[in-house]
Amino acid sequence: MWQKIANWYREWDKELMGVLEKPELVSVVAPGYRHYVAQRLAQMPPVQRRQLRDFSLSYRGSRLYWTLAALTLAFSLCSIPLHFVRETQSWIGSIFAANIVGFSITGAVISAWFDYHRIVREKWKMVLSVLGFAVFGAVLGIGVAMWTKPKPLADIVARLPHSLALIAGTGLAMLVPLLAISMLRNRQADAINAQLQREAEQAKLARELSESQLRLLRAQIEPHFLFNTLGAVQQLAQHGAPRAAELTANLIDFLRSSMRDMRSEQVSLAAEFGLVESYLKVMQVRLGERLRFSLQLPRALEQVQLPTMILLTLVENAIKHGIEPSLRGGEVVVSAEAQDGAVRIRVQDGGVGMSTLPEPDGGGGTGLDNVRHRLRLAYGEQASLHLLDGDPGLIADVTIPYAQP
Amino acid sequence: MSTNPTVLIAEDEPLMRERLLELLAQAWPEARVVLVAENGNDAWDGFLEHEPDVAFLDIRMPGLSGLEVAERIGSMAHVVFVTAYDQYAVDAFDAGAVDYLLKPVQPDRLERALARLKTRLAQPPADGAAMGELLRHLKTALPGVRQERTKWIKASVGRQVRVIDVDEVLFFQSDTRYTRIVLRDYEALVRTPLKDLLGTLDPDRFWQIHRATVVNVNAIAAAERIDAERMQVLVKGSAEKLAVSRTFVHLFRE
Repeated sequence: MWQKIANWYREWDKELMGVLEKPELVSVVAPGYRHYVAQRLAQMPPVQRRQLRDFSLSYRGSRLYWTLAALTLAFSLCSIPLHFVRETQSWIGSIFAANIVGFSITGAVISAWFDYHRIVREKWKMVLSVLGFAVFGAVLGIGVAMWTKPKPLADIVARLPHSLALIAGTGLAMLVPLLAISMLRNRQADAINAQLQREAEQAKLARELSESQLRLLRAQIEPHFLFNTLGAVQQLAQHGAPRAAELTANLIDFLRSSMRDMRSEQVSLAAEFGLVESYLKVMQVRLGERLRFSLQLPRALEQVQLPTMILLTLVENAIKHGIEPSLRGGEVVVSAEAQDGAVRIRVQDGGVGMSTLPEPDGGGGTGLDNVRHRLRLAYGEQASLHLLDGDPGLIADVTIPYAQP
Repeated sequence: MSTNPTVLIAEDEPLMRERLLELLAQAWPEARVVLVAENGNDAWDGFLEHEPDVAFLDIRMPGLSGLEVAERIGSMAHVVFVTAYDQYAVDAFDAGAVDYLLKPVQPDRLERALARLKTRLAQPPADGAAMGELLRHLKTALPGVRQERTKWIKASVGRQVRVIDVDEVLFFQSDTRYTRIVLRDYEALVRTPLKDLLGTLDPDRFWQIHRATVVNVNAIAAAERIDAERMQVLVKGSAEKLAVSRTFVHLFRE
């Protein structure tokens, strides 16, 4: 029998600790009361679940028993003054009453300490249930009193309002500190949550950044880009063409400024247009007449800051998915303009256009998802990326907030 | 081969094109370059016109990709792919019956490939099945080398512009710089040359039977023999008889 209870306790304990650690485990808990409890635990906010788990892990085994024994001793000691105040009671009765009250308060404090989220959210439900239980307790007490020491009903009725007020008042008086505890704990949890969120955001930012650095690195060493460009240099050099030196200079420019991009998070539009220009010049030597391009950056916008890699990703896409697959090629126009409190940066290609835009990120690696993420991380909802049908070709519009100097 | 071998080169970047031409002239002076194409559509069209012995095909080109051109060439010529794809993708070639050159092409590598090619020239080109297998493999291994299929074609009929569902087309016929589109009830002209329409049509549903003719398989009533080498196709819903060129007669072999 004893063994059975111990096993049952151990199993349930394991189940609850499991749910506290991984709330999704609630789905494997068998239906019934245990499922209900597990579900309540799983619905707690993560921070709260972790606190409860830490508490449960530290107060178990001998530490739990020692604590319970110490509390029992303390409450029993409290019963001594109680006994002298109400001499009518027996010693056993006093000790029993003191322990009941003591452990009830302990339980309430622990609930307030760990289930603060629900308590704060359901404040009025708590007040009502405390009042309800108080009235229920009073009625029960009167019933018991009538049964043990019969008294005239009139006497009881006459004292009823007084008793009820006393009991409800005591209940509410206890509720105030408990609510205060819950609210304080809730505020701490909010602070912890905010901190966790900040950390998660920072980690995400770092991840996005390294992802775009990786993309840049890949763009530089992409076999089509690097080998075809070097092949073009080789071919031009073989004939001593002055264009060989020019192409090499542009390639060096491109590699150097993309390395600068890799080291920073934001660059000026002037620098980014420079990077894109050297890239387009390299591509123009390779593609010949199929690629024409123009860059339009107003002087006033030169120092506007933009997350790195965004513009180059869009221009690469224009070449790779617009111009290169097109039989007749086209013109790439890169421009920036101020537009009521925002800067709109546009990459337009006269290539094959929307219907043949390849698969979204993943296989094709158009990098548009990465561009969107980085815009969101840098500007929140204030920035956007839109793709429009350019007819012919595709227009990619990036809008970022413009902080006037 | 008694006469000089004929060669087709397809490469979209002008400097790469120039380079391959020059290196080829040095390393294989007896070869005669019959066509230099700037995209896959011209390459296939030129192939049908010149029927060269060897085709050097860039894989990534506008229009038909090098893989699609090779698929159409099948066993009619020896194919050498010219590619900048990395080793991972190139491993696929090693197993197959097809040669490849890595871009930018280097003289020693070209000479080695040519030596192998010359021994192969004495034999018939790679058999169709092995080639098909390799191409299927390459198409999945190399991303981004497939064209989208067209569902609708805008064409002028008299003074109207009609939007034609390609499935309703009986056949396409090349008419110099235009393409004639013949349907059951009417016909239309589009300004796009047939060679450029070809890649946007599903090759399983639209068979090319001549350099100048593509026919909807569903519209074929019968194919009949004219003599030992020539055939013609009878089209449902049209009185016209379409000539099948020698290159495509195999489509109708039982």
